[in-house]
Amino acid sequence: MQTIQHPELQETLYYEKMPNGLDVYVLPKGGFQKTYATFSTRYGSIDNHFRVVGGEDHQVPDGVAHFLEHKMFEEPTGDIFATFATQGASANAFTSFDRTVYLFSATEQIEANIETLVNFVQNPYFTDENVEKEKGIIGQEIKMYQDNPDWRVYFGVIEAMYGVHPVHIDIAGTVESISTITKETLYTCYNTFYHPSNMLLFVVGGVDAEKVMSLIRENQAKKNYGEQGEINRLFADEPTAVYQQRKTSQLPVSLPKCLFGLKEKKILELGEEQLRRDLITKLMLDIMLGSSTPLYQKLYDDDLISDGFGFEFNTGKNYAFSIIGGDTRDPDQLIERIRTAVEEMKKTGFDEAHFERARKKKVGNYLRMLNSPESIANEFTNYKFRESDLFAVLPVYESITLDEVNARLREHFDWEQLAISIVESPAQA
Amino acid sequence: MIMTSFEQGRVHQMRIHVLPTKRFKTFAISLYIGVPLEESSVTKVALTPFVMRRGTESYPETLQFREHLDDMYGAGFGFDVFKRGDYQIVQFRMDVINDAFVAAEDSLLQQSFAFLGEVLTKPALKQPEYRNRYIDAEKETLRKRLEAIVNDKIRYAAERCIEEMCKNEPYRLHPLGERKAIDGISSEGLLEHYEHWLQSASMDLYVVGDTSLDEVQRLVEQHFQLQRTNETTYHMTPSARVSRDVQTIVEKLDVGQGKLNMGLRTSITYSDDQYAAALMYNGILGGYPHSKLFVNVREKESLAYYASSRFDGHKGICTLQSGIEIENYEKAVDIIKKQLDSMQAGNISDLELSQTKAMISNHVRELGDSAFEMIGYDFNRQLSGKSRTAAELLKQVEQVTIEDIKRAAQTFQLDTIYYLRDRKGE
Repeated sequence: MQTIQHPELQETLYYEKMPNGLDVYVLPKGGFQKTYATFSTRYGSIDNHFRVVGGEDHQVPDGVAHFLEHKMFEEPTGDIFATFATQGASANAFTSFDRTVYLFSATEQIEANIETLVNFVQNPYFTDENVEKEKGIIGQEIKMYQDNPDWRVYFGVIEAMYGVHPVHIDIAGTVESISTITKETLYTCYNTFYHPSNMLLFVVGGVDAEKVMSLIRENQAKKNYGEQGEINRLFADEPTAVYQQRKTSQLPVSLPKCLFGLKEKKILELGEEQLRRDLITKLMLDIMLGSSTPLYQKLYDDDLISDGFGFEFNTGKNYAFSIIGGDTRDPDQLIERIRTAVEEMKKTGFDEAHFERARKKKVGNYLRMLNSPESIANEFTNYKFRESDLFAVLPVYESITLDEVNARLREHFDWEQLAISIVESPAQA
Repeated sequence: MIMTSFEQGRVHQMRIHVLPTKRFKTFAISLYIGVPLEESSVTKVALTPFVMRRGTESYPETLQFREHLDDMYGAGFGFDVFKRGDYQIVQFRMDVINDAFVAAEDSLLQQSFAFLGEVLTKPALKQPEYRNRYIDAEKETLRKRLEAIVNDKIRYAAERCIEEMCKNEPYRLHPLGERKAIDGISSEGLLEHYEHWLQSASMDLYVVGDTSLDEVQRLVEQHFQLQRTNETTYHMTPSARVSRDVQTIVEKLDVGQGKLNMGLRTSITYSDDQYAAALMYNGILGGYPHSKLFVNVREKESLAYYASSRFDGHKGICTLQSGIEIENYEKAVDIIKKQLDSMQAGNISDLELSQTKAMISNHVRELGDSAFEMIGYDFNRQLSGKSRTAAELLKQVEQVTIEDIKRAAQTFQLDTIYYLRDRKGE
């Protein structure tokens, strides 16, 4: 077991790689009642075309990763929620573009709950019948999202930016795509992506690190996993240009929802360079559009944005983009105003005072995040899967220079890469 | 239990509650300001914090106000307006880094109190040169917020169900007020209302972090320029008994999925000795993935993705919600009613009992890991007048029997069925 100290944060992290390749991290939090654990696989909605070295190519229907997540909760003995409930644990799971995460939080029977978590994820049980039954439930989940204008406008902008890369495919798939899923599809994906060497367990809370490690060591030693070759995820070439400049959908909304995205031209490999670019970009967007900037205030005063206005920078394997926007009475005017302001900023660059203030804010937000076991576990895994380190974030923020931010501003805001998504009421169209 | 030890004091007729602890990297500050929910004031009360967050005497421009928060290492500052029983509560929250982790020149706790004190007692709302501009803009923001409720159909259906169910009670009102009342609010009227509100509302200030009651009281005396003569307390009135048949409301909008909501009334509220039994009732019925609603509506029949219940212990209302295929309405209502009947008949297994106890207990114990959750739990005591520590609640939940839940179930009466569906057949 390796001990990784972070004295400036008053945190100590413990790490061990199990012989079968599983990465286990434990972060004891003195004084905390609860333990929160996540068991995650590097497998999400974008991994729909793959090959294990020495094996054959698989192209699977949209929504399989999410379908698999649903079906994992069923065991030959019944629903695993019931077992967690008996042990006082609140369990859940989610699927994103590039990972599937199973989790629980509990204040008692921690060891039993950790074992339950690891065992149920490592014990698939799919039958023709239980796969069919799930289609009705997921169908309703898909319909729920279709009625949700925030989800529609968000996914709309990704669909507008990407025509080939599977990031544009809705995580749950469609009613049609999931209708073709069988238990065989699920087993193929499971056997590929749920090998321990593709997974990470994170435990945070009032626990003893050595106890947790030995529990996992013994648990894994009882299971027979053969060596697995490297997983090759196959991505067809995504054109640099956006797929569609503007995408409009109709749903009843009180004001049009407008998000616009800028598709990154330069794709970086996962790792430190990407982490640095991510953090620089986030800082840059905050200096430009954060709620304490002159531009934000001006747009608010002119009734072009409201409190829900926001922005993000999202990056993963072979994709990277920013998304900006919110509810607005006039989508085109909003975009035009931001565009003009950004062009002005590109000429002058940001000043030192705004840069330092934004940096300070980021440092504060980062420290606040460390109060939350849920955030630590999820963010840590997120960073690890991108081959970087959550605990390296603070030193990176401290080393970023104003010149880097200004250079990034000029690089990222290339309006050739703009795609717009709008959701409006039929009457507003 | 870690979370029982809020120290209590009082300054300017404001109740002060402090939990000294070194567990967090931050100070959490929460100020609750509560008044009875009334049609005549609900919109003004809702508008007030929107205007207060625009600026203060020292930072009158919103930009300065927000830059100052950023300078405090991105201090979190926010507000919320919500209902607890027939009260409308405005909550201001701050969340600031403990100085031990950063190289701040002045104590960030001190700076936070200086800031919050100004927000409360010296808002730019008082300055004629800012007043109209901020009030006009925030009236627009409030209007947009109220109009946006319909965007999220899950929330919209939940609000509409309550509105129909409580149409003759103040509880029908949305905590953000009424759209039709916004235009009638004048700048002078709002200022006058603010002064009165500051005088008469119930105020509870909570702090969790590496500090002491003495320090907090000193900071409040120094930074909160309040002159309040009376301390006001909360007096909850339980949900009105309505003797009528179950009412069914069907509303049509452009939706792809039907939203089925139901509202039940109970005489049991937070201050009641049967409170733990009512929590168990809700937990077994629909609080969790092992509950009757989830198992029967989702897992057995594949009718829905979500099917759950929620208990509002201050009002004595239990609400059920689910999203279903439109034509499955009758089937879903039928299955849900069967679950309600089976609760009243006491058809509860020992396993359901023990699982639900374990889940509720876990939830109560977890509260202690979040500063704001601990604050929220303790605030129940102020609202209800009933002191029930987390340890006591755990014990009471542990002692609940199936017979107790069956008895509690008799008090839960279905009042309203609300269904949001598509426009087909119109």
